[in-house]
Amino acid sequence: MAAIQLVHVSKEYGGGALAVNDLNLEIAEGEFVVLVGPSGCGKTTALRMVAGLEEITDGEIRIGDRVVNDLAPRDRDIAMVFQNYALYPHKTVYENLVFGLRMRKVPKEERRRRVEEIARILGLEDMLQRRPAQLSGGQRQRVAMGRAIVREPQAFLMDEPLSNLDAKLRVQMRAEIARIQQTLAVTTLYVTHDQVEAMTMGHRVAVMRGGVLQQVDTPQRLYDSPGNLFVASFVGSPAMNLLEVVLERDGGTLVCRVGDTDLELPADTVGRRPALERFVGRHIAVGIRPEALSEAGEDPDAPRLRGRVLLVEALGAESLAHVEVTGTPLDRPELVDVAASQTHLLPVGERTATLLARLEHDTGVRPGHIVDLAVDTRRLHFFDLESGVAIAAAAAPVTAAAVG
Amino acid sequence: MSSVAPIAPVPVAPTTARPAAVARRRLRRGHVARRIGINLLGLAVFTVMIFPVYWMVATAFKPGRNIQDYKPHWFPAPATLSNFTNAVHRPYFWTDVKNSLIIVSFVVVLSLTVAFLAALALSRFRFYGRTAFIFLILGTLMVPLAALIIPLYITLSRVHLINTLTGVIAMYMTFVLPFSVWTLQGFMRGVPRELEEAAMVDGSTRFGAFVRILLPLVAPGLVATSIFAFIQAWNEFIIAYVFLHDGSKQTITVWLASFTNLHGTDWGPLMAGATLTALPVVVFFVLIQRRIAFGLTAGAVRG
Ligand SMILES: Nc1ncnc2c1ncn2[C@@H]1O[C@H](COP(=O)(O)OP(=O)(O)OP(=O)(O)O)[C@@H](O)[C@H]1O
Ligand SMILES: [Mg+2]
Repeated sequence: MAAIQLVHVSKEYGGGALAVNDLNLEIAEGEFVVLVGPSGCGKTTALRMVAGLEEITDGEIRIGDRVVNDLAPRDRDIAMVFQNYALYPHKTVYENLVFGLRMRKVPKEERRRRVEEIARILGLEDMLQRRPAQLSGGQRQRVAMGRAIVREPQAFLMDEPLSNLDAKLRVQMRAEIARIQQTLAVTTLYVTHDQVEAMTMGHRVAVMRGGVLQQVDTPQRLYDSPGNLFVASFVGSPAMNLLEVVLERDGGTLVCRVGDTDLELPADTVGRRPALERFVGRHIAVGIRPEALSEAGEDPDAPRLRGRVLLVEALGAESLAHVEVTGTPLDRPELVDVAASQTHLLPVGERTATLLARLEHDTGVRPGHIVDLAVDTRRLHFFDLESGVAIAAAAAPVTAAAVG
Repeated sequence: MSSVAPIAPVPVAPTTARPAAVARRRLRRGHVARRIGINLLGLAVFTVMIFPVYWMVATAFKPGRNIQDYKPHWFPAPATLSNFTNAVHRPYFWTDVKNSLIIVSFVVVLSLTVAFLAALALSRFRFYGRTAFIFLILGTLMVPLAALIIPLYITLSRVHLINTLTGVIAMYMTFVLPFSVWTLQGFMRGVPRELEEAAMVDGSTRFGAFVRILLPLVAPGLVATSIFAFIQAWNEFIIAYVFLHDGSKQTITVWLASFTNLHGTDWGPLMAGATLTALPVVVFFVLIQRRIAFGLTAGAVRG
């Protein structure tokens, strides 16, 4: 096992544009880091540079304590799982699995032992003599995994290994890969464009956009305190509601004006964000997670938004309500990137925004109803409209005090 | 795992399924008629194609008086081998066979080796002049050979390669090589690059990946190319005729032409010679036929 370090790594394919722009990322020994981002953001490029399949334009990559910039892939002692598996079609499963060991001059007896052990772990024992064309998608995927595992390399690199599987198998393999990684404790860099995969599998998640690393953190912290608008909108499913609001002072407190409704901000929320003061009287972006919205109770003082229900999706354990409120939906280029990779985005009108609310499964709300949504103002996220950067809490993460 | 009631395959009793069976039979009858039609058509085409070959072989076995008879003799009866003995005992037969074999072997091996490497460069690397190179290859293929004979003759005579097998080999390469490169790079493009990359990550060198992974996967391409090269070089006439002067340095096709002289054509021995000349092509084809069948499935397996 070895740590992987990318230091100021850049890649230019020619034509001037940087596919990867000044990437700094460290994957500790035995750690599982997921690189996630919309299509074309440079994930594969980054991974291929670590593998040695792509030259590095600038910067330095270290595996263990070696700088590997100029090392051939075979000398880096890493294993890679390709998106299309890249199984050798003219070789049997056994030959596919044993190929890397043979290349590395592992003694014959040991080769056989290791391949058979991996085949047993992955349930491929009965298929060793088949060719890849005679396997199902899931079996091919397991052979591809096996080919990486059997080598016992310093690190695994995986490029969207699950994207060719159907939804159910994907969930199953997701757990399996995470389990295998945990058992072997091999340093792993895993690429995906699926944020659910990223959040469920990674010890830490690195979010990229347009070749630039946006934020690296544990899944929970990414979710709780996204560093900018892009991360906020990309992480979480269903996505965070984002609105353009005006921040106003009302007596001793600050309020967010959403359309013609004022949401009063709790004192401690404001207290831990001294930077908010600078934005008084200006437009800012506010993020509301769907679970921070609920059907309002009797208390008339609780902050609430009134809107018309467009659609209710019953998901079994909960219901997702699409509620149209007066307000300004956020319209920024980074959110378009997200729209391309996520499904939940309804068309929005000029002065109305559609909010997603996570309601109880037995909610009586129906399309056409007018509802009052209670807003948990302690769980709001604030962003500078110009830079898109979060106006973050100074000390603890935002939700530390809020959940409960 | 959620428990879903297994859907057992319900056995269909033949009695209950009569209407379906009738419909199926009718469907099958239409199917059979179509297949017969297609096969008849194939047979007709085959007959047209094979007839000249049959006539050549048949003529080779006929005695002289039956060959030029006004009433065609469909079968070589009575049959004779005298045409073959006549042909084989003409001057230079064995020498010219040897010459042809030498030329063909060199052309096939050289063009395949060079074409594999060139196709590799074209399909796997980006370099300056790559596009120009591709156009050059296609351009070479478009120029008719006859137009090149005089300039090539002048060129070869300057380097003293007229009337040598080496010269003819070089000439043949000029049209076999571009075609081979073009065909092979097409086959190589069909093999995903990730396969070689996987091999490289697995511990192979770049060249090792080409040899261990790419080479077996483009085997059908190599076979197709080698058949082409073999047939082209074996059957070529004009260049050999112009560039080789001595009877002892000619190829088998030029030797065949010697059956036609001022006194007319000696049909019996000519057809016997032509039959013998065609044999190596058939043998070569049958030998690697099995490789083709294997190769095609290997290509289809890609995934
Ligand atoms: N060989 C190449 N030559 C030129 N440009 C390339 C090449 N490979 C990738 N690019 C460009 O580099 C950028 C990053 O590509 P990359 O394949 O790393 O994206 P990705 O994040 O893996 O996307 P996806 O999720 O669609 O796989 C893209 O804009 C792409 O067009
Ligand atoms: Mg990719």
